[in-house]
Amino acid sequence: MSGVNLSGIVKAYGAVQVVHGIDLDVAEKEFVVLVGPSGCGKSTTLRMVAGLEEISGGELTIDGRFVNRVAPKDRDVAMVFQNYALYPHLNVADNMAFGLRIRKMPKDEIKTTIADVAEILGLTPYLDRRPSDLSGGQRQRVAMGRAIVRHPKVFLFDEPLSNLDAKLRTQMRAEIKRLHKRLGVTSIYVTHDQVEAMTLADRIVVMNDGRIEQVGTPMELFNNPANTFVAGFLGSPPMNQLKGVLTQTGVKVGDAEIKIDGAAAENAGRNVIVGIRPEHVTLQAEGQSSSLPLSLDLVEPLGSEALLHARYGESALVFKVETNGDIDHLSGVSEVHVQPDMVKLFDADTGRALNLGA
Amino acid sequence: MAEENSSASGQPVQNARTEGREMRRQNANDGRWLRLLDHFKREWQLYAMLLPTIIWFLVFLYKPMYGLQIAFKDYSIFRGVSGSPWIGFEHFHTLFSNDQFIRAVKNTIIISFYNLLFGFPAPIILALMFNEVLHASYKKTAQTIVYLPHFISSVIIAGIVITAFSPTAGIINTFISWLGFEPIYFLTQPEWFRPIFVGTGIWQEAGFGSIVFLAAISGVNPSLYESAVVDGANRWQMMWKITVPSILPTILIMLIIRIGNVMEVSFELVMLLYQPSTYATADVVNTWVYRQGLQSGQYDLAAAAGLFNAVVALTLVMTANTLSRRFSRTSLW
Repeated sequence: MSGVNLSGIVKAYGAVQVVHGIDLDVAEKEFVVLVGPSGCGKSTTLRMVAGLEEISGGELTIDGRFVNRVAPKDRDVAMVFQNYALYPHLNVADNMAFGLRIRKMPKDEIKTTIADVAEILGLTPYLDRRPSDLSGGQRQRVAMGRAIVRHPKVFLFDEPLSNLDAKLRTQMRAEIKRLHKRLGVTSIYVTHDQVEAMTLADRIVVMNDGRIEQVGTPMELFNNPANTFVAGFLGSPPMNQLKGVLTQTGVKVGDAEIKIDGAAAENAGRNVIVGIRPEHVTLQAEGQSSSLPLSLDLVEPLGSEALLHARYGESALVFKVETNGDIDHLSGVSEVHVQPDMVKLFDADTGRALNLGA
Repeated sequence: MAEENSSASGQPVQNARTEGREMRRQNANDGRWLRLLDHFKREWQLYAMLLPTIIWFLVFLYKPMYGLQIAFKDYSIFRGVSGSPWIGFEHFHTLFSNDQFIRAVKNTIIISFYNLLFGFPAPIILALMFNEVLHASYKKTAQTIVYLPHFISSVIIAGIVITAFSPTAGIINTFISWLGFEPIYFLTQPEWFRPIFVGTGIWQEAGFGSIVFLAAISGVNPSLYESAVVDGANRWQMMWKITVPSILPTILIMLIIRIGNVMEVSFELVMLLYQPSTYATADVVNTWVYRQGLQSGQYDLAAAAGLFNAVVALTLVMTANTLSRRFSRTSLW
């Protein structure tokens, strides 16, 4: 069982605590993505798993073995760094062979392993080149190759795609996903990019300020965010959040009343945050939908879809609607409609998701 | 054939091509000058800042080159540089038939070789050692101690060396006497001059010289070490497989500069430490030039020796630079 278990993991620099007791179980062969804004402690957590940072408190086990005080080399993990960390004086083959030579693997075996991995990553024509002669994407592949040749129990990725341009990032994302399917190695991946998190992860761990906000599959987190932070972090554009007050039939937002599932008299008067995903609105009223009047600021065409930047009271809102090949009709939009089951509610004081028992 | 080589108007093709090439070159030159003028107008402040350096070079390095011609003249201070008659390479014939000069060249090369062999790696080793010291205050103290000799005047350094190796009160001979051996007159014996001279140079400059390598080490990407740690490398392996190769370009640049100074053995220190009894191993080109040129008044012969020195140094530094560029992609220019 080559999973990773973090139990009450704490990191402190002197009196300053930056990771406040992380509990996380990463199952064997699972691809878990730690996502969060800069400074939330995700990279520090990953580095503690790698053994590059000392663990101040809690227990870390890899493959069922307690490894808090085990040297990085003996944890059987391989790490891919943000800036690739390729040795500039070595060619691709030697970079990939570095860890194997340190571990005194026989030369023939090294050669075969590198040839196999280079084939998988499409690096065979570049084995004699130095990193400076490679493109960003090729360097990234070499960095992954160096991790793969070790056949570790766990892969650790520290924002490996953040130095690539948007197109290459999309391409490499797919490659990483394919590789994980092929190799089936337990992986922990750190990123601040929620698109990477959504596309790659079996499960996402959303972190904020040294704490885990929510753990779940991408769709669980997208559909049922545990709090306003997760709701605002996942999704592009993020979920619209408006202040409101519960009524017997729905929620009052400014002058508008939006119908919700599970509205009840006993909750009336409670202050809430109303969450509406940008893509969960329509321009025509349908069934039980409620309308939200808005004052349109800007239409941003994306091709098949367009973003409507609008205001409702003091709130700036963004909605995503289909263009059907034309955006002229969107300039006259003065309201959007939302179905009751698409409205998310959060407690106005704690920010936690509210389940009204619908 | 004649037809093939002629254009339609009868002008030889070869001439037309040459003229075309000449015109293009002329245009390119004009373009270059115009670009320079344009750049000068736009960035005149930068050129103004460069001016003091250019003036310094002209006054102190280029103007004195005018006097180099006395290496090819029978120079007399009464007739002046321009009034003295040309005598071609006669001074160079004299130099290479002079045993003392040949000996001085040999000594210069041998001392420089020892300096390169022992003195060049010393600051690199020191820098690598400092880099491995994890305790910050211990590291700072050690660095300060080894930097200090650099700031001491060569006269004081020579005084310390002379005192330390003194046959009567020197610490070295006191130690030798404790071991029951006869005191050694180190500074009067030719065979001891080179080790003492090279050792003194290392003691004086290795610490300060390590700064440039420490700076290079601090520029090595820390994630290379982290990656190596995860791969299982120990500190020794990291030093040899990451630190040394990463600072290799700096090492090569410093080596090229050092090779350019091969003929410039520390004149002051030799003057202060040598004496007639050690001339056999201690007399270098610069000290010989000083004795011949200034003390014996043979300025023209001394200029020829100095020119020889400069030509050898230039050849060496260009060769080293070319080799370095070819084999390691690193070069000064």
